[in-house]
Amino acid sequence: MKAHSIVRNEIGLRGPLKEDIMRRIAIATLLGASLAVMTAPANAAWKSYVSHKFGFSFEAPGEVKVQNGTYRGQISGPQQTIVYRSVEDNIEYKVTLMPSFKQAQAEGANILGERAYNFQNEKKVLMDTFGRVEPGKDSIYGRKITVEQPNNGGRTTAAFYFNNGTLYSLEATVLPANGDYASPDPGRFIDSIVFVLTRTQPGATELTMPPEE
Amino acid sequence: MRALTVATLAGATLMALAAPASAAWHGYISHPLGFAFAAPGDLKMEKGTYQAAVGGKHDSIVYRFVDDNIEYKAIVIDMTPQANQAATLLGEAEYIFQDGKKLLMDSFGRVDGHYGRKLTIDLPNKGGRTTAAFYFVNGRIVSLQATVLPANGDFDTPEMGRFVDSMTFYTVRAANDATELPMPK
Repeated sequence: MKAHSIVRNEIGLRGPLKEDIMRRIAIATLLGASLAVMTAPANAAWKSYVSHKFGFSFEAPGEVKVQNGTYRGQISGPQQTIVYRSVEDNIEYKVTLMPSFKQAQAEGANILGERAYNFQNEKKVLMDTFGRVEPGKDSIYGRKITVEQPNNGGRTTAAFYFNNGTLYSLEATVLPANGDYASPDPGRFIDSIVFVLTRTQPGATELTMPPEE
Repeated sequence: MRALTVATLAGATLMALAAPASAAWHGYISHPLGFAFAAPGDLKMEKGTYQAAVGGKHDSIVYRFVDDNIEYKAIVIDMTPQANQAATLLGEAEYIFQDGKKLLMDSFGRVDGHYGRKLTIDLPNKGGRTTAAFYFVNGRIVSLQATVLPANGDFDTPEMGRFVDSMTFYTVRAANDATELPMPK
C-alpha cells in the first residue's frame, strides 16, 4: 500500500513538471523565431515589371530605378543603353537594353555572341549554357553565364537574348557583403524574363524610359 | 652503326606502310556562299533537310568528305527569309545539335568578326564523336562537323579541330589553290 502511494505521487508530480517544461520550450522557440526574423536582412517582395515598348517583362526585388548607360563592342559599335537597376540584400539586379539594332537584326547572332563573350572575357567562368525563353515556335534562344568578378568582387549570373532588334541582358551580382554565392535569387531573376507578354504577372509595373540627357 | 641505320630505316618504312593512308588536305571555297575551309578526301555534294521549331523546314547543302574513318561535313542552311531572327535561329541549331547527347565541350567560336559556338558531343550508341562549329553569315547557318567514327577510334584526334578551325569568311584567306565548291542545280 505504501509503495503504491509513492508511485502515484511520483506520477502526480510528473504531469505539471512536463507542462512547465513544454511551456518554457514554447516560449523559448517563439522568442528565438522572433529574434531570427528581426536579425535577418529585410528582403523586399519581388515585383513584376513590364515594358510593352520593348516587349518583355521580368521580376526583381527592391526599388527598380532607370538610368542611361553606354556600351561599346567591335561589332555592335558604340551604343546607348537603358538600364533598370535595383539592389536588395547586397545583390545587384540589372537589366540592360540596347534597342538600336532594328536595322541590323540579321547580325543578331554576332551582336549577341560578342556581348556574351565580352561579359565573360578574362573572368573565371563557372557556368555557360543555353538559354531559352518561351516554348516551341515562340522560343528565343540565348546564353546564360555565371562568372566570378575579379578581385573577389562577387559573382554574377547573366542571361543574354536578342529579339526584334533589341539586345537584352539580365545580370544579378551577389556582392561580397552578401556572401551567399549559391543564393537562388540570381537564378530567379534571370529566369523571370518573358517575351510573350500574356505570360507576364498580372499587375506588373510598366517600366519608364530614362530621362532625356 | 650501319646495321642500326638500316634497322631504323626499315622500321620507319614499316611504320609508314602500316599507318592509315590519310589523304592530303585541300582548300575549298564558295564565293556565292562566302566561306572557305580545308578538308581531306574526295568531295561529294548532297542535299539535306533541316527542321526546327522556330526555324521551320529548310533544304540544306551538304559538302561531305570521308577520310580515315572520319566524316567531314560542311552544311549550309539558307535562312534568308528569317534572317531577322539570326540569334535565335543559330542558338536553336546549336541546341538541336547537342540535344539528348553527351556534351563534352561548348565554347565560343570566333572567325573573321563572326561569333558562333564550337561544340563536341558523343553520339548515342557508341556512334562516334562529333566536333562542330556553327555560325550565322549572310542569312545562312554555316556549320562544319567532323565525326570520328568507331572504326577510327581515335576520339582525341586533332583532325576534328583542324577541320572546324579551317573555316574562314574572308575569301582572301582561303588557300591559293582552293577548289570552288559546286552549287546545287
